Amino acid sequence: MRSFQAKLVYLTVAVLVLLLTAILIAVHVAGERTMRRSVANELRVGSGVLDRSLAGRGNMLSVAVRAMAADFAFREAVASADRPTIISALSNHAGRVNASAAFLISLDGTVLADTLNERYVGRPFPLPSLAGEAGRRGESTSIVSFEGRPYLFVVVPILAPRPIDWVCMGFAIDDAVLNEVRSLTQLDLSVWNPAAENPLMVSTLRQQERGELTAQMRRIAPSGSDANATIEIGNDPYQVLLHPLVTADGSHIQTLLQRSIDDARRPYRRLELQIFGLSLLALIAAVIAAIFFARGVSSPLHKLAAEAQQIEKGDYSSRLEIRQQKDEIGKLASAFDKMRKAIAEREEQIWMQATHDSLTGLPNRTLFFDRVAYSIVGAKRNSTLVGMIMMDLDRFKEINDTLGHHFGDQLLIEIGRRLRQTLRESDTVARLGGDEFGVMFLAEEESRATDVAQRIAAAFETPLLLGGVSIEVNGSMGIALYPVHADDAATLMKRADIAMYDAKKNHTQYAIYEPGRDEHSLRRLAILSELRHAIARDELDLHYQPKIDVASGKAVHAEALVRWRHPVHGDLKPDEFIPLAEQSGNIGMITKWVLRKAITHCGEWNVSGVELTVAVNLSALDLFDAELPTYISGLLSEVGLPPSKLVLEITESAVMKDPAYALRILRDLKNRGVTLAIDDYGTGYSSLAHLKRLPVDELKIDKSFVLNLRNAATDDIVIVRSTIELGHNMGLRVIAEGVENEEAWQILKRLGCDMAQGYFISKPLPASEFGAWMTNHTGNSNLARNPPAGETPSVIEPL
Amino acid sequence: MTRTLPLLLLLFAPLARAATLSVTVRDARGGAVTDAVVYAVPEGRELPLAKKTAVMDQKNRMFVPHVLPVQTGTAVRFPNSDDIRHQVYSFSSAKQFQIPLYKGTPANPVVFDRAGVVTLGCSIHDRMTAYVVVVDTPYFATTDKKGRGALASLGAGKYSLRVWYPEMTSEPAPVPLTLAASDDKELVVTVRK
Repeated sequence: MRSFQAKLVYLTVAVLVLLLTAILIAVHVAGERTMRRSVANELRVGSGVLDRSLAGRGNMLSVAVRAMAADFAFREAVASADRPTIISALSNHAGRVNASAAFLISLDGTVLADTLNERYVGRPFPLPSLAGEAGRRGESTSIVSFEGRPYLFVVVPILAPRPIDWVCMGFAIDDAVLNEVRSLTQLDLSVWNPAAENPLMVSTLRQQERGELTAQMRRIAPSGSDANATIEIGNDPYQVLLHPLVTADGSHIQTLLQRSIDDARRPYRRLELQIFGLSLLALIAAVIAAIFFARGVSSPLHKLAAEAQQIEKGDYSSRLEIRQQKDEIGKLASAFDKMRKAIAEREEQIWMQATHDSLTGLPNRTLFFDRVAYSIVGAKRNSTLVGMIMMDLDRFKEINDTLGHHFGDQLLIEIGRRLRQTLRESDTVARLGGDEFGVMFLAEEESRATDVAQRIAAAFETPLLLGGVSIEVNGSMGIALYPVHADDAATLMKRADIAMYDAKKNHTQYAIYEPGRDEHSLRRLAILSELRHAIARDELDLHYQPKIDVASGKAVHAEALVRWRHPVHGDLKPDEFIPLAEQSGNIGMITKWVLRKAITHCGEWNVSGVELTVAVNLSALDLFDAELPTYISGLLSEVGLPPSKLVLEITESAVMKDPAYALRILRDLKNRGVTLAIDDYGTGYSSLAHLKRLPVDELKIDKSFVLNLRNAATDDIVIVRSTIELGHNMGLRVIAEGVENEEAWQILKRLGCDMAQGYFISKPLPASEFGAWMTNHTGNSNLARNPPAGETPSVIEPL
Repeated sequence: MTRTLPLLLLLFAPLARAATLSVTVRDARGGAVTDAVVYAVPEGRELPLAKKTAVMDQKNRMFVPHVLPVQTGTAVRFPNSDDIRHQVYSFSSAKQFQIPLYKGTPANPVVFDRAGVVTLGCSIHDRMTAYVVVVDTPYFATTDKKGRGALASLGAGKYSLRVWYPEMTSEPAPVPLTLAASDDKELVVTVRK
């Protein structure tokens, strides 16, 4: 891209060059024409001058010759009739008038004497026309070609005092004559006789030029009246004019005048050069003017461009001095300035929107991250700490669902306000999304982090009053510190997040990040991403753990437990990946896979004569799947298994997520003839009244009560006993899981527990091994005496 | 070009002992020819040289008379009546001479001893011309304004009548003439002029 300045200069130069070229051409053409005309004119004038000069010379010579002829001594000599005397007198007097040839002619035209070695004596005068003319007019003067040269001949009578003889004097028209005219006219002159063998008789030219001129003129061969022609001599152009001379003898002698065109052109050339020089000056002046003008225009534009670049970089402080110019540039500058202000305002707005949460007006995650990153830079320099707390509200979804989103929003605003009030001005409070808040503060020592967390916890001890409703808010806080836990903002945020989940999981108000948790978390993330492919790659497998009827010692149920044969991490147990499946929304898929597999296996066992009921664990999220009952019915009828042969185990807390909805699903399943069991009973908060409403058939006592079931441990025995009694009173079968030793087994038997499950009986077995196990133990009431050898009993948390 | 035209001769009756001859010279158109010299040369007779004198004066830068006929042997004086000098010369073959610049009358006259026309000039005044016509006879006359010239005292005998005039380019053929003692004849001669 050329600059404006360059464009303007190019344009100016182009226009001027065109214009000046046109002028130069016009001048050249006009000059050439004028020059040609002037040359023609000079030649014509020169020819006239030459004619006049020759005529004048003729007259002068005529007078001179006449005077000579009247000379008394000369007449006396002529009258002497002595030829030698006459010839010597003739030569003598011819010398006086510079004649080249002289004749004495008798009145009857016979040559009496001549100065040309008496070549013509006794013969008729060789130029009879001259003699005739003289006879008629008393004298004659004429130009003739004589002996191949041009002459001026004068014939006058010798008077004594009557004419007695003629005297004739010839004057050669030689170089001297022509040079005289040449000095007047500046023209080269020649005498040309086309009839002659050497037509160029006399010339002012140099010898070499004469040859060329002769050759050129022979080619042109003009005749008659005046003729103009252009010839070249030695590569130089000449204009020539041929002009016939009046001759007495009728010979076609012509004068040939020539003018060097180059010489004639010289003044025009000089003029052209001067015009060219002036043109160049004009061009330079115009270019300078254009540069100044363009600079006048482009310099403000450059300033505007520089300003625009500043704005592009985000610098909106004005540097423009807006002159009060009324021209276009002035308008542009003022419009530009308005634009700059508008952009600054809009960017401020956009920045606010981009960096702040519109609901609470607090900084959002982006700005929070920036500030953390910025603070870390400062802290690194000052060797101080940057603390971060991530807070997630407990039960916010419940509040939102119960009291409406508007209320939820108001609550969030109020929480933000309370956080802000609680913390120092220099601390940052941000809403990171949903019900998650972030707090950042600068700290001198680690202890400040817990101080801040405790202050926040204390602030939320007072219930919030919103629209007449008093709300108690609890949050889980995760704490991480730079540089103790992380070196950069991103890691710091991640680790505070992990700490927050720890707090949530441990039901504490806050937790500080524990080193190493993050690596665990990373593994979780890897598993999460691979989970969706696990089924497709056929990496899932089912194990079965039998439940024994305590009274008969028979295996009556088999609980299906899912295993993941992970290609890298080895066998994974459900508690490692089921929560991840729940988080990622893949749980429904896994549940369905387990259901299909377990029902199919159970169908096969029943067909082979093994009477068993299969138990499958449902996740809390499965209870929100309205399609699930239909799916199960379809599977059962597909395999041909009666619904009573399927037990679905649901945890107490799963039901509590949305009791009303869960109840509908459970009733649906119950109506389809499926057996339902409450899993992990005793860990939740469900009331007995609540339990009573559930359409369940079985109750599984949580293994935490069974594992330490000893006679000495009275607390657990009391709980187990009262639970069994309670269940039996409500018409439910009671199952104990986590039976790992004979003592527990005996206690459960004494307490009247219906079924038992645990390592004391059998560890979970692959489907293939489970069939064999069943064959060995069916009807064996003493199986408790033969626990699987070589197994170290360990806590298994069934799904 | 120089052919003579026929002469018309008109003869009249003679008068006394000595014959007289009146000659009128005309040109082709009948105009009178003045200053023509008519002279009759006797045939078969030797005439003695004349011891006569004649004068050719110079007045107002002119020779006077313009034509001066003289008999062979006549001495002619050349007085200068002007108050400026003249130089008289002749390059004619009948008599070549020159009188250096002079005033008054030169001491010696010029004797014209050969017949012929002598053209006179003045070498410092080109326009001065005169003719001395030297004839071998005492019978001559110069024609007047009417072209007439009279010859007297001619003895009887044969003559050859001749005419000369300045513009003449060739001499007309002489007219033979026989005169009695008392003849008184008149002649008209027509010349090509």
